Amino acid sequence: MEPVHAVIIATGILMISIAAFGFASSKNLIRQLLSVEVAFNGALLLLLALLAANPSFATLFALLLISVVTGEIVVVVAILIAFYRSTKSLSSEPLEEAMV
Amino acid sequence: MELSFLLLVIASLLSLITAALIVVVRDLVYASGLLALLGGLTAAIAAILGYSLVAAFIIIVYLGAAVMFIIITVSTLGGGGREERLIPEGLMVGLLTLLGLSFVFFRAPLELGDLPANVEAGRVAGELVVRYAPLLAVLFAALAATIVEAIAVARR
Repeated sequence: MEPVHAVIIATGILMISIAAFGFASSKNLIRQLLSVEVAFNGALLLLLALLAANPSFATLFALLLISVVTGEIVVVVAILIAFYRSTKSLSSEPLEEAMV
Repeated sequence: MELSFLLLVIASLLSLITAALIVVVRDLVYASGLLALLGGLTAAIAAILGYSLVAAFIIIVYLGAAVMFIIITVSTLGGGGREERLIPEGLMVGLLTLLGLSFVFFRAPLELGDLPANVEAGRVAGELVVRYAPLLAVLFAALAATIVEAIAVARR
């Protein structure tokens, strides 16, 4: 593995691990959304490094990924706003209690 | 050491520091602002790797629309009350993720191409229109749905 690949793959893996820590260590839904976005950035870097053998396909796949994530963000934020209006809180605890 | 490799290492380190700050900083408005910085650094790394089209798309679509939407929403809602942190559980999940991903990506026999990549914008556009037309339809649908959803949220 060349140094450039190693740097990018290590950065992507560390970013996803940091995001996993942030997601698991907080019960605030906004913090969890931000952690998922950090993981997305790490996954995008991994994708660009791993698909470097076919750069055109990597570019197209990255464009698709970014578009889908943009849509996902808007939908999740809309759900958060509706959740905040009904509970006056952004903690995930009411959701956990509802699941039990 | 080449200048581009040095820039890549610096951008990678800065992005890791920014990612760590996003998950630990107390104020969620600052955290969402840092997410914009992280997106900019990711775009910079993509540009250094030769993916200039992806870098432009990150800046225009991801930062310009999605992250701005998060920042405005978080500024409007505030933090949503006191935040409870579960550090031991978070550390355990983070470490397990790190070990698992490191094992997969550094042990697997990967066939990696040359970096920086040589991406021709004209060729990508041609392939997108001719060979991957359904993908283009999905792109349009996702971005159109984003706009409709944002308008619906704003009108409530």
